[in-house]
Amino acid sequence: MPRHGYQESLSDLREDVLYMSEIVAERLRWGLDALEQKEGSTARAVIDGDDEVNQMYLELEGECVDLIALQQPVASDLRFIAATFKIITDLERIGDLAVNLAQYALDADQDVFPEVDVQQIGVETLEMLDAAMEAYAEEDPEACYAVAERDDELDAMCEAASTTVVRDLIESDPFGEDDADAEAYMQDISRLLLTVRDLERVGDHAVNIAARSLYMIEDDAELLY
Amino acid sequence: MSQQNTDEQTTSEQDAGDGGSPDPTDDEMLIQTDVSESVDETSGTRRRETVVRAEHVDVWYDDNQALSDITMEIPEQSVTAMVGPSGCGKSTFLRCINRMNDLIDSARVEGDLYLRGKNVYDDDVDPVALRRRVGMVFQKPNPFPKSIYDNVTYGLEIQDKGGDYDEIVERSLKRAALWDEVNDQLDESGLELSGGQQQRLCIARAIAPDPEVLLMDEPASALDPVATSQIEDLIEELARDYTVVIVTHNMQQAARISDQTAVFLTGGELVEFDDTQKIFENPESQRVEDYITGKFG
Repeated sequence: MPRHGYQESLSDLREDVLYMSEIVAERLRWGLDALEQKEGSTARAVIDGDDEVNQMYLELEGECVDLIALQQPVASDLRFIAATFKIITDLERIGDLAVNLAQYALDADQDVFPEVDVQQIGVETLEMLDAAMEAYAEEDPEACYAVAERDDELDAMCEAASTTVVRDLIESDPFGEDDADAEAYMQDISRLLLTVRDLERVGDHAVNIAARSLYMIEDDAELLY
Repeated sequence: MSQQNTDEQTTSEQDAGDGGSPDPTDDEMLIQTDVSESVDETSGTRRRETVVRAEHVDVWYDDNQALSDITMEIPEQSVTAMVGPSGCGKSTFLRCINRMNDLIDSARVEGDLYLRGKNVYDDDVDPVALRRRVGMVFQKPNPFPKSIYDNVTYGLEIQDKGGDYDEIVERSLKRAALWDEVNDQLDESGLELSGGQQQRLCIARAIAPDPEVLLMDEPASALDPVATSQIEDLIEELARDYTVVIVTHNMQQAARISDQTAVFLTGGELVEFDDTQKIFENPESQRVEDYITGKFG
């Protein structure tokens, strides 16, 4: 194949991005596990491992810049690099959100609102991330649209969870307890709401990845906004 | 036959002849004198030894200074690109390395130019022997009106090197990525080949004596995009075995294929020499930035 070295660099970049996505998905899974099990060591592994994700992001950004500066990519190659340049930002942000989950797990004293199934929302986001990366890897436009559609379900789940918490908060009047208990309870509630919000954002990033993949595959900006 | 060059060909004389007086500036300090230092030690890449070292090289054509105080080190088994506008002296510098400038009566070279530590301008250096160690490929493919086989062995015959020519022909043509296309027509004339094939034949001829350095003076500028791409791939391959120094007026080509880039600007001045990535992503010199971004030149 002509321009063998260049083709190899493109192929390496694709592999590296997929590897980064596996690491990020793993961190997200660990973050969810830490929340579920109240397990400190898993949470700390996510927090301590964020530097590794950030470093990967910087290296991949460098690979994209090098390719643009040195290889004059055009057409599908250019779209691949441009999409990748954006997608790695989404992956890095998902890594940050996994760190947030780990931090909430360390801070949490107790489960509040067991009826709000954070794990179910988490599994949904993990599957969306996997589907988005598969769409990228397989260059599958239909899969890109499917991720975007799935985000509506996730948003509905998150909305329902938040509504449950807020409505119950209004009805339960926790401020009848003593102040210290009330404050601890409010912190737990805040963390739960933040958890739901962060997972909803993971879904948004998965949609961004699908949108950039669709641009890459078909030069179609439909999913970008 | 594919295309032949119809572009105006830049000879070294033309290239250098309009070089004005040097305009030394602070930029001169930007020239990295030891490229081997830039090899990433953390990656475990072994340090590359310097093959060609220029120290304060000046070249005049009569009273016209074509190169001014060039100091640089070219590392082994890599591609070093020389870029710059016409008349900047880049081809002149290339021709200093194998003393091709000796063939120009008006040319005068001062300073020191070392090949593996030996000054090539010392009195005891035979320029013909030097050129066996420093092969050259020109802009326009220039096979001899002989068979493909004889083209490859031509330099060997002059050297009277003996040995197994068949093996050398096969090896050289393979290294030049031409063997698969011509192995059943070795007795046919080299002139029957397409332009891109002719250029690869010239590369095979240049590497047949197994030189240490391969100089290439705009080797793809007379070729179509497909043949250019083949030559560029070949250059990257050749750098595994040889030290390749290429002059190109195509900056993108330098970016694509070279490890180090030297930017010469008008007046025969080497303004910046560094890793290609550094030159094209964040050059130190504003003049280099202006040149590579097309703001002048």
